[in-house]
Amino acid sequence: MKKMFRKTMAGVMAAALAVGSLSACGGASKPGNGGAPAGGQDASGNAGNENAGPITGQTLQVMISEEPGEGDALGSALKKWSEETGNEIKQIIISHDDMLSKFPSMAKNNDLPDLVATTRLHQLYPEEFVDMDTVLDLSQFNGSALKIVGKSYTSDTITGIPDQYTTTCMFYNQDAFAAAGIDAPTIDKPWTWDELYENAKTLQEKGGVKYGFAADVSRARYDILMYAGGGSLVQQDGDTFKVAVNSPENIQTLERFVQANNEVMPKAIWAGGTTDNPVEYFKNGDAAILLSGSWNYNTFTTEVSKFTFGVMPTPKGSAGQSAIIGGEALAIPVNGKNPELAKQFVAWLFEKGQYEEFLQIRKEPSVMNGITYTPDTDKAKEDFAIIQNEAGYVTDTFMVDESSSWRTYKDNEYRDALKRAVAGELSAKDALDGFAKALAESSGWDMAY
Amino acid sequence: MKRKNQAFSHDRSFWMFVLPSLLLFGVFFLLPLGMSIWFSFTNYDGWKTMDFMGIKNYVDILTSGDFYKTLSRTMVYTACNLPFKVAIPLLLAALVTSQSLKGTTLVRTLVYIPVLFSALVAGITINWMFGQEYGLVNFLLQKIGADPLQWSLNPVLATVVISVASNWISAGYYMLLYVGGINNISRELYEAASVDGAKKVQSFFRITLPLLMPTTFIVLLLSTVNLLKEYALIQGISLGGPGSSTTYVVQYIFDQGFNQSRYGYASAAGILISILFIVIAVVQFKATKGGGEV
Repeated sequence: MKKMFRKTMAGVMAAALAVGSLSACGGASKPGNGGAPAGGQDASGNAGNENAGPITGQTLQVMISEEPGEGDALGSALKKWSEETGNEIKQIIISHDDMLSKFPSMAKNNDLPDLVATTRLHQLYPEEFVDMDTVLDLSQFNGSALKIVGKSYTSDTITGIPDQYTTTCMFYNQDAFAAAGIDAPTIDKPWTWDELYENAKTLQEKGGVKYGFAADVSRARYDILMYAGGGSLVQQDGDTFKVAVNSPENIQTLERFVQANNEVMPKAIWAGGTTDNPVEYFKNGDAAILLSGSWNYNTFTTEVSKFTFGVMPTPKGSAGQSAIIGGEALAIPVNGKNPELAKQFVAWLFEKGQYEEFLQIRKEPSVMNGITYTPDTDKAKEDFAIIQNEAGYVTDTFMVDESSSWRTYKDNEYRDALKRAVAGELSAKDALDGFAKALAESSGWDMAY
Repeated sequence: MKRKNQAFSHDRSFWMFVLPSLLLFGVFFLLPLGMSIWFSFTNYDGWKTMDFMGIKNYVDILTSGDFYKTLSRTMVYTACNLPFKVAIPLLLAALVTSQSLKGTTLVRTLVYIPVLFSALVAGITINWMFGQEYGLVNFLLQKIGADPLQWSLNPVLATVVISVASNWISAGYYMLLYVGGINNISRELYEAASVDGAKKVQSFFRITLPLLMPTTFIVLLLSTVNLLKEYALIQGISLGGPGSSTTYVVQYIFDQGFNQSRYGYASAAGILISILFIVIAVVQFKATKGGGEV
């Protein structure tokens, strides 16, 4: 019996070795199997494979945050690449928030996609993603975009290439403004936040809208009020930081925001009682002013039909105007099934002609040096000028907050604290004090207040 | 000792029959339970960090104001809903077993259909109906000239909506339990009562209700446990809002574990809550004597 077992095992091992050798031979001629280094760079400065041609006939698994709709730039690019190369695309749709819990599960189960379009996974878990310096020539990209959207929170490694570079911005309903007799602010003559709230009241009364003002349920949107009010989440303290989210300025800003929710905003959204999307309120003509982001511009051009919309500059607070820039990056999990295929797609996407086409669909600021989006109408040019101008309002306090990587310690908890204040469950002070304490405990930073 | 030995003194065929269930029970219950107990003593973040922390998680939970708020909210929600969980199915069962009512099969079917819905789907449907801006109910209220109600903003209204939904999707199941109980009561008892001049209401309170005590106990026990661990329905309707006013213990545990990546803390909370639920069930069992005595 033992002899027979030994013979069987020897046979199995011999077969395994033979299969292994065959695989190795096959792999050597196929970069997709990791047989050849990604090495080298092509004429456009992109990394490519010197020894083998493009990979074909395989499937690229891409994790994206929402179902691609009409005019979706990344979806269109994936489709075009698929047609050109003969590779299949398999899309996994998971919202950005859910990615935070799903990605670790996928990693544990060795079930990672080849490519992820993410806002922060690559920054939170840089060791899980390919260093983009080995895939593309990073000197062809806008340094700020790489730093804010592509860089790891804990090192200087670029773990994602921004496919979307956006800024917070405000949209308004031109018809409602006209009906209420309100002139939109301009770059040279922006409103203050108090003026915005006052005008929002007038819009509710005379503009034929239900709500004067609506804002995305996102701390990144709320934070522009915070920075404009002179606050910040942390303060630099030598080589480290102090938690400053519960500063008097921030408490005052939150109190005013709570009041605005009671008077001119759809309160249920920020109070967390509904999953309604304020963007829909704006598109339906129920909200006159929307604080959201430049990524909506493209959608609005096709989906807003009940009225004419415009873009207005962000209002001023006691510390001036503020904006937050951010975006989404394409990142390649190291342990995905086919990272070489993902590298091939990324290299293809950021070829000059291809990226120009991509950007014309995106209608957003470019992340590549020397390439810009050219609006095709006068109105679009005006709107785009305002959007581009917003990027200049990024405050130093935002940059300090970003450099602290505070989101590695606490993230959604901040938004939840704001929600509880808006719902009236906690005072603005208690909500911010509670979050400040939790952040301080988690990060080990002292509290400034 | 002898009883213990007897418990394990079965032949091979017994164990062969039991093995599949035992295996499933072990893999899907005992193993996760064991892992959860272990995680509760660590700072496991669901992926990369897992250091032994002793009883820190338990101390943190027992000194957390948010935990007690959530727990007391859950208890109030359970206590307020429990009478409806028993009374509505009982009345429905009495109705559909009545000799004088026609179309009882149709009524039974209609009442039972919501039981077949996934709690999450039912929640999302209710959310759509009671949506503040674009909801059906507020639309109808406005059509008849009434003011729309702030379903999503008022914690009491939000809780009422969840309670109504919870009763709606569970009433059919408990009704069937009662129907089975009522059908088991001998007709002769009602005939004897009728001969003695008892009215139908008297028969219900003096015969039906007392003889349904074992069923009522089961309904009470299942309802209590289900109310205490209400989750999917709330996720569909309110996501625990406004603020955290409809966040109950299971949402709290889920949020700590999956949203905040505090799996160790969430596991400890889960263990404590399980112990509490067991105590509640035992107290219920003792108080009603398992429904065995009237």
